[in-house]
Amino acid sequence: MITFKQYLRQSTTYKIFKIFIREFVDFLTTFGDIVENGLKTLRYILTFQVNVKELMDQCVRFGISSLPITLSIVGMTSIIVTSQVASEMVKQGGGHFVGLLMSILIIREVGAIMSGFAIVSMIGSSLASEIATMRVTEQIDAISVLDVDPIRYLFVPRILSGIIMMPVIVIIASAFGILTGALTTKLTTELGYRAYFDSVWLGIYMKDLGVCLLKSICFGGTIALISCACGYQASGGAKGVGLATTKAVVWSFVAIVIWDMIFAIAFFF
Amino acid sequence: MSIKVKNLTKSFDGKNVIDNISFEVHDGETLAIVGFSGSGKSTVLKLICGLIEKDGGEIITSEGDIAMVFQYSALFDSLNVADNISFALRERKDLRNKYKEEELRSIVSQKLELVGLKGIESKFPSELSGGMQKRVSFARAIVTEPKTILYDEPTAGLDPISSTLIEDYIVRLQQETNAASIVVTHQMSTITRTANKLIMLYKGKIVFAGTPEEMLRQDNPYTKQFVTASLEGPMHMLS
Repeated sequence: MITFKQYLRQSTTYKIFKIFIREFVDFLTTFGDIVENGLKTLRYILTFQVNVKELMDQCVRFGISSLPITLSIVGMTSIIVTSQVASEMVKQGGGHFVGLLMSILIIREVGAIMSGFAIVSMIGSSLASEIATMRVTEQIDAISVLDVDPIRYLFVPRILSGIIMMPVIVIIASAFGILTGALTTKLTTELGYRAYFDSVWLGIYMKDLGVCLLKSICFGGTIALISCACGYQASGGAKGVGLATTKAVVWSFVAIVIWDMIFAIAFFF
Repeated sequence: MSIKVKNLTKSFDGKNVIDNISFEVHDGETLAIVGFSGSGKSTVLKLICGLIEKDGGEIITSEGDIAMVFQYSALFDSLNVADNISFALRERKDLRNKYKEEELRSIVSQKLELVGLKGIESKFPSELSGGMQKRVSFARAIVTEPKTILYDEPTAGLDPISSTLIEDYIVRLQQETNAASIVVTHQMSTITRTANKLIMLYKGKIVFAGTPEEMLRQDNPYTKQFVTASLEGPMHMLS
């Protein structure tokens, strides 16, 4: 004879199990969609089936409109780090290495990852909600009925613009981060600009620059792909758009951290 | 023959939404599909134009394009009216490089004239009324001169006068294009003014097939309930 408590316990376990299975299936479906749509997009890019006007529009959206927020985030991160490290290094006699430390830190890590986070929150969420809205208002169905592949029209220019513009954003943001580091060092220590920039050059390695560019290409393409794919999957109304946008942001954040880890292990382990 | 649907079936999550239905629409004819909300009307259109895949049966259409006018127009809100109408001509693989810019402009203005909207090429969908958006979506649908035109509740959400105008354009497009048309609708005026024949769906099955005049005679208990908008009858609100 089963007691009420046992029944309740079983029932809760069952419910948790059901939620787990549902989430797992959703994870696999999303992952499968991202891979499938990514491969289709790659095929269009490799066969040069790109709408150049749309690509230009997306590059402006991806690059120009996101630049102020990206510069702010990387600049402020640089101020936070420099203000805590510079005076201590000067005290310990290592003032001439502040520039070197900042250039290594920004080029290897801060420039790309902070720009990535800024792009996810600004461009990724906007891409996902735009495509999700198109899905729930039947605009994507209309594209299909007009015999145009939505992947070619929507995914290709957006992903390509991510791949092209992200390295540009990261280079500008990194340079800005190093400059704000110089300004902060000047304001918080007695170290001059000359001493700072002399050591900045010591910390710039070709390998670091190459890895930084490669990493930013992967970040840009991945953020755009995940955002488009999550938006494309949307269903229902306003709730569906919200869920798709949240999913795109969460998945993009996780994906760029995974990419960052892969690059760290591959090149600096 | 332009559209022939034979023993079409479709189910979602084990529930039969379309259950073994068959009908034909010839060139120049308009078939109205009527029924309760959720009876599978829009699903039939999506199956015909290939937006969803059928489980069984056959859909045979004449060679040529299939166009669809969506319930809420589904205009691309980031594109202006001209780019919306010329979208297929600019983006479709087989048409992409076929027309020069002047030709595209001329086709757009010709199609806009056909739906009674001149000089709005540079406007965006958000600047248009519901009725105008619907007419722009008509123009977009016929830009490739389709042999089959599907209308999903074309007069839904419009005032009576705008509805009459839309119905007139459905008839005009049918005459101009000689296409086979299917109109999904709840509205009696749309049925009587645009359709040559109709089918009524209930629980995914055809419960009546005939002409609008035959439906108005109310010989069939299903059409009687539909025409009189009665709660009493063989049909119950679908859960």
